[in-house]
Amino acid sequence: MAQAVAEDLLQPCELQDDSSSLGSDSELSGPGPYRQADRYGFIGGSSAEPGPGQPPADLICQREMKWVEMTSHWDKTISRRYKKVKMQCRKGIPSALRARCWPLLCGARVCQMNNPKTYEELAKAPGDPQWMETIGRDLHRQFPLHEMFVSPQGHGQQGLLEVLKAYTLYRPEQGYCQAQGPVAAVLLMHLLPEEAFWCLVQICEVYLPGYYGPHMEAVRLDAEVFTALLRRLLPRVHKHLQQVGVGPLLYLPEWFLCVFARSLPFPIVLRVWDAFLSEGVKVLFRVGLTLVRLALGTSEQRQACPGLLETLGALRAVPPTQLQEEGFMSQVHSVALSEQDLQREIRTQLAQLPASPSGPPPRPQARLPGAQAIFEAQQLAGAQASTRSTKPQVPSIIVQPPEEPAPPKPQRKPQTRGKTFHGLLTRARGAPIQGPPRSHRGSTSFLDTRF
Amino acid sequence: MGTRTEEDYNFVFKVVLIGESGVGKTNLLSRFTRNEFSHDSRTTIGVEFSTRTVMLGTAAIKAQIWDTAGLERYRAITSAYYRGAVGALLVFDLTKHQTYAVVERWLKELYDHAEATIVVMLVGNKSDLSQAREVPTEEARMFAENNGLLFLETSALDSTNVELAFETVLKEIFTKVSKQRQNSTRTNAITLGSAQPGQESGTSERRACCISL
Repeated sequence: MAQAVAEDLLQPCELQDDSSSLGSDSELSGPGPYRQADRYGFIGGSSAEPGPGQPPADLICQREMKWVEMTSHWDKTISRRYKKVKMQCRKGIPSALRARCWPLLCGARVCQMNNPKTYEELAKAPGDPQWMETIGRDLHRQFPLHEMFVSPQGHGQQGLLEVLKAYTLYRPEQGYCQAQGPVAAVLLMHLLPEEAFWCLVQICEVYLPGYYGPHMEAVRLDAEVFTALLRRLLPRVHKHLQQVGVGPLLYLPEWFLCVFARSLPFPIVLRVWDAFLSEGVKVLFRVGLTLVRLALGTSEQRQACPGLLETLGALRAVPPTQLQEEGFMSQVHSVALSEQDLQREIRTQLAQLPASPSGPPPRPQARLPGAQAIFEAQQLAGAQASTRSTKPQVPSIIVQPPEEPAPPKPQRKPQTRGKTFHGLLTRARGAPIQGPPRSHRGSTSFLDTRF
Repeated sequence: MGTRTEEDYNFVFKVVLIGESGVGKTNLLSRFTRNEFSHDSRTTIGVEFSTRTVMLGTAAIKAQIWDTAGLERYRAITSAYYRGAVGALLVFDLTKHQTYAVVERWLKELYDHAEATIVVMLVGNKSDLSQAREVPTEEARMFAENNGLLFLETSALDSTNVELAFETVLKEIFTKVSKQRQNSTRTNAITLGSAQPGQESGTSERRACCISL
């Protein structure tokens, strides 16, 4: 016992080099007694085990069962029961099931199935040296206090390197945007690198196109949209921000580019991601508007912020009492901003956006507003592809009860009247009693899910 | 801070940190304003800022230091960053020649967006890694001199010259500002360029105390 304590006390002394010193011991020998990681993996973090604000265990159990049921026939669920999906995402996906649900929601699972060799090739290929240097410099700067990302040799930083490099090879014209780091990191906390990669692709190309590219043109557009929404929904706050000279580009980019991964307590980040992957960019606007209101919604708050710096400070430091998970999320979901409202405002602002001296105009119509739209687009793309080639359709999950043998494929209509069966049926049956080989199970994604 | 009379002025000087990603801007900021340094400070996405008040003679100067992402693509969304800046630290990593080679491009970016009278210091950071040096001191010093820039080598890690760098820039700004005030009929006009409505930089404050973040 004393030996173990002595080792813990000794370890910090050897960490003199300038690589990420905090982490190598927690990767190799577990966190020391004074460096406990919280339930999300943050060393010294304050997210304790579920407390009074958390739903009771049997409710979580119920939700888990609902999600298992919904994801076991995902195609049906997302196409016919999207309202239920949306509602369950708003309530929060149980932590044990995020790894299963996120890739389904964002369509990454389908991308992966349609491109089974792609990631492997990207991961093996050498990266563009210029991007590799930049990415390498940032690896230890993403969630440095999270136990997964603390060590340079750990699977967190290595996974980040692999996924970010893969993206620069997959989309060389897009390259690397630093905000992809925190996004990929949150994905890697839940998923293996290949799944995380496809989720990142979906976020960068389908949820938030124009955010991470060389011109970030959609960020500029959304900043204008956000201001217009402020003017309409929080006019006094809008006026105050104008008076002190705080434009949205001074606070919005980090919020939206990182999908709030760096701006909110981590349990809330995960709730926001559940809703975002389900409903799209509208959620980012709702969260942003909620945060602004919590920071500057009262006249006392605005009076306490007579200038630009104080105002910006208030936006970054919403008091923790205002950031209780359930209360905050319910405020987010009650923001008076519908998808139609948002689209209308986007069209208005797009028409007024001054042309950028360099770079393309934003294309908000390329954005898909959530899981159902993504599913439909993938179905459509799959149908179009199969009319051109023999590519298989998106496989649906077929569950066979074990006792019944699989019915034989009808080739000729058998003459059944009064006849004894020979030939066709017995041949086609194979070995029905023992059960046919379940080759279709290979396409069932949920059984392979890692938690 | 002490009581202020009519003759005492508070100044707020906005200073921006610019330069390539990874040269140490965020740590220079944290070293100067909070005396902190971290190997693992997060990548800057968007804009960060911090303040510190220093005394120059009898004047209390609140330095408002701004820090932003160095990566090229952020230029598209950070032009507002420069507004009202009266000073700039153009930082390169003296162990990575590539970060020095692009200094001219950064200067151009700066003059495109900020006042022509802005006080600029070229800063070669990471002087603690002297064995890995790739930019000779003399070369950088000559460049600075030829371009009307101040120059220092610093180490945010061991604090070398960090205070001196910021204080030198602030003193230079203060000198310019004092001259301008002597020349100006409006005793409250303390900007180096045209003032933007609602902007704080260089305006005198009448607050009871300095607010630090």
